[in-house]
Amino acid sequence: MTKKITYNQDELINLIRQRNQKAFTFLYDNYSKALFGVINSIVSSQEEAEDVLQNTFVKIWNNFESYEESKGRLYTWMLNIARNLAIDSTRSKHEKIKSKIQSTNDTVYQKNNLYVDDTAHESIGIRAILGTLKEEHKIIIDLAYFEGYTQEEISKKLNLPLGTVKTKVRQAILTLRDLTKKEFLQ
Amino acid sequence: MKEHEVISSGLLESYVLGTTTVEENELVRDLCIKHPSLTDEIELIEEALINYSAQTITPLNKELKNKISDKLFSNTNTETEIIPITKTDKTIRLYKLGIAASIVFFITSIAYIFYLQDNLHISEVNSIKIINAKISAEEKVYEQQQSLNALESKLQILSDPKIKTVGLKGMNSLASNSALIHWNTESDAVYFNASKLPATAAGKQYQLWAIVDGKPIDIGVIDLVNDTTFQKMKSVKGAQSFAVTIEKAGGAIAPTMDTMCLLGNV
Repeated sequence: MTKKITYNQDELINLIRQRNQKAFTFLYDNYSKALFGVINSIVSSQEEAEDVLQNTFVKIWNNFESYEESKGRLYTWMLNIARNLAIDSTRSKHEKIKSKIQSTNDTVYQKNNLYVDDTAHESIGIRAILGTLKEEHKIIIDLAYFEGYTQEEISKKLNLPLGTVKTKVRQAILTLRDLTKKEFLQ
Repeated sequence: MKEHEVISSGLLESYVLGTTTVEENELVRDLCIKHPSLTDEIELIEEALINYSAQTITPLNKELKNKISDKLFSNTNTETEIIPITKTDKTIRLYKLGIAASIVFFITSIAYIFYLQDNLHISEVNSIKIINAKISAEEKVYEQQQSLNALESKLQILSDPKIKTVGLKGMNSLASNSALIHWNTESDAVYFNASKLPATAAGKQYQLWAIVDGKPIDIGVIDLVNDTTFQKMKSVKGAQSFAVTIEKAGGAIAPTMDTMCLLGNV
């Protein structure tokens, strides 16, 4: 059996700065699935998710100068890139299809006075995950992790006190940590 | 702030999730210098999140790693676009019914889009799920619009009183098939209506002939792929009948009589 190579964050960052191909291999092997999971929960198709993942790695690689260790974890920085590219991709897809329709149907699209309560759609696309998280925790983690909501935004959106949101985020992640530990022991 | 206070505050979770402010990031950095064990805590949070999102139900395409690697370590680039194709129908009645149904669906879809419309103040709060629901509704509207356009263009051709429709009967290999020719006797425009023809063998193509004074005149090869509207063929005057043969892709100068598969008299 081959021994799995591991780097600590500083070693890895140095290797990426040198644009070392080993660093890419390590990044991809260790983070691609996690980033893909985040992207996939935002965009609507597998094909689009793969495109966004590709663009994410290209951006990580080509814009690495803009990463500053003092401002956060490497994974957090990559996560932000993935999340933003996924959201951009969804928005531009939306703009594209909207303008296609608009170009042939200007008049119908003009009036825009209907109202919807978006909580009705909250369950759309919530993902099935092998581990078990309580539904309330899952909603909060999905918003914070996959869509990048701040705790204040979650508090507003779900109409929960900020303190409660903080506690729940922490509880949810503690549950995930337990699951990770159990998997590790198995 | 004491170590356990930091840990229970939820600050480290936000830090890893990337939702902290610049000031909070500086605070976390200072705290980690003061209490090095906080870095371990941060790594555990990160690991838990990575494991969580790595458990997606959709497996990652194995080729993707090489594709990205090629892109980063050499310089190649390919992009493709997929264009949807819509299907067609036959008589005017059916077209009219189709158009009516499309309009109903179209209006329903537009209403649904309006229904979803409110959440477009997406700059601060990303209602991605709403946008995705809108996109799929809008894509349906777009598809409907395309097929509605196709139906309308067909209806327009058929509604012209100068149009003469010629039925072509199947023979030989296409004995159970049929097709229609819509021929404008004033402008001489010929439209081929091939909605139900089977695909030809690779390297072959259907070719349409007009028989004028007993002689076959080539009026074009038939493109089965693009059937969103009737295929406009070459114009012809004074045809007594129309025939279709199977020829090599691109068409032949003269028809191969053995492969004649559709024939109809004006």
